[in-house]
Amino acid sequence: MMMRLVDPSAESRMDAHRTAPRLADLEGLRIGLLGNRKINADVLLRETAALFESRHGCRVLALEEKDHAGKPCPPDLLACIASESDFLITAAGD
Amino acid sequence: MSGTEDMGAQGARIHEWEGADAADAIEYCYEQGWSDGLPVVPPVERRVAEMVAGDPRPPDTVVCEHPATARACTLLSAAANAVMAGCRPEYFPVVVAALEAANEPAFSFHASTASTGGSAPLVVVSGPIVEEIGMNAGAGVFGSGNRANSTIGRALRLVIMNVFRMIPGISDQSTQGQPGKYSFCVAERADRNPWEPLSVDRGFGAGDSTVTVYAGAGFNNVENHGGGAPEQILECMADAMANLGSITTGQSVVVFSPEHARVLGNAGWGRQQVKSYLYEHATRPVAALRRVDKYREHEHARYGEQAVHRGYGPEDILVFVAGGDAGGHSAFVPAWSRGRSSIMQTRKIRALAPR
Repeated sequence: MMMRLVDPSAESRMDAHRTAPRLADLEGLRIGLLGNRKINADVLLRETAALFESRHGCRVLALEEKDHAGKPCPPDLLACIASESDFLITAAGD
Repeated sequence: MSGTEDMGAQGARIHEWEGADAADAIEYCYEQGWSDGLPVVPPVERRVAEMVAGDPRPPDTVVCEHPATARACTLLSAAANAVMAGCRPEYFPVVVAALEAANEPAFSFHASTASTGGSAPLVVVSGPIVEEIGMNAGAGVFGSGNRANSTIGRALRLVIMNVFRMIPGISDQSTQGQPGKYSFCVAERADRNPWEPLSVDRGFGAGDSTVTVYAGAGFNNVENHGGGAPEQILECMADAMANLGSITTGQSVVVFSPEHARVLGNAGWGRQQVKSYLYEHATRPVAALRRVDKYREHEHARYGEQAVHRGYGPEDILVFVAGGDAGGHSAFVPAWSRGRSSIMQTRKIRALAPR
């Protein structure tokens, strides 16, 4: 018995994305924080950023937050954070 | 093979399979990771072609996207998954309308499929199409046994898994899940409905068929066999809506059994009056929420210092009738969204394309 079966899946356009170039040096860089308003998200982000502060003299910017955890970060907010920071710390979780 | 059946020419990826029998083909589908755990109907090209022909638009028309993963569901993908679910071609317009409704940004389709919250898209069908395609709006409406209910809901789940790659334990981080993640599709029972059709309540015409999608958490049975007054039925329902494990600022779906709907209708209570009563009484003291550490200033300050309500207003409660003639059993389905990140959406169902 032979069958021609239609594949039910779809490819992601994200497969063509590439990671950003790695930073060569972390000393004194500005860190952006993006939270999702979940409980203790701010604690996790700030504690993580504090490690970069103490080890590399980084400067931590004010925490920014999405309105809803389940929605993508608004592009204008992301653009604003990108313009003011050298790298971003964010997380996914509940 | 006719030109219209050549799905490869329409952009589909084709698996050339050879085996002993259809059961082996089902095993092949399991091996490809296409199943929800149950056997699927192999997506044979001819059947997919017949399914996708039910929509007049080109097969590569995108009906639903998840921007977070940059994946899109075309009519062709939807058709392949509808075939695997066991849908008949006449169910396809409902599947497509449900996907298009879920595609509205306010529904937050991707988030609802990834969350720990155990969400499944509840599909509520209203209007003439319920009878036309043989859906069940009566006894066991939320259960098994009806092909249209079972397979339409299942088609959405297979799209979620196969197209959007929301895989349990990996990209679908639902803590416990719920049975609706197999299929969660019901129809409104028109012949026992004391109010206007749900499709009209949702802003469509009296003769329109519509589908409403709602990111729902687990189903709550609300039982009252003795209550003969509207307030007695509704107090039970409001109490379920406001239980400490359920009360949030999210929306609600309330499904009255014919028996409960008759109590409400015979007393002259309109749908809006029912919604208002439920909203006013589905409350919990602020102190109770603080005691269990569920009070959140940014969510609950809007309600004042005494009590919080479920939802933002009566308009957040979807009310309709479904179920068998016997039994004082109604249902409350809480929203997955504890806040406002997912709002139910309604879409008119297209007529099946002429063949």
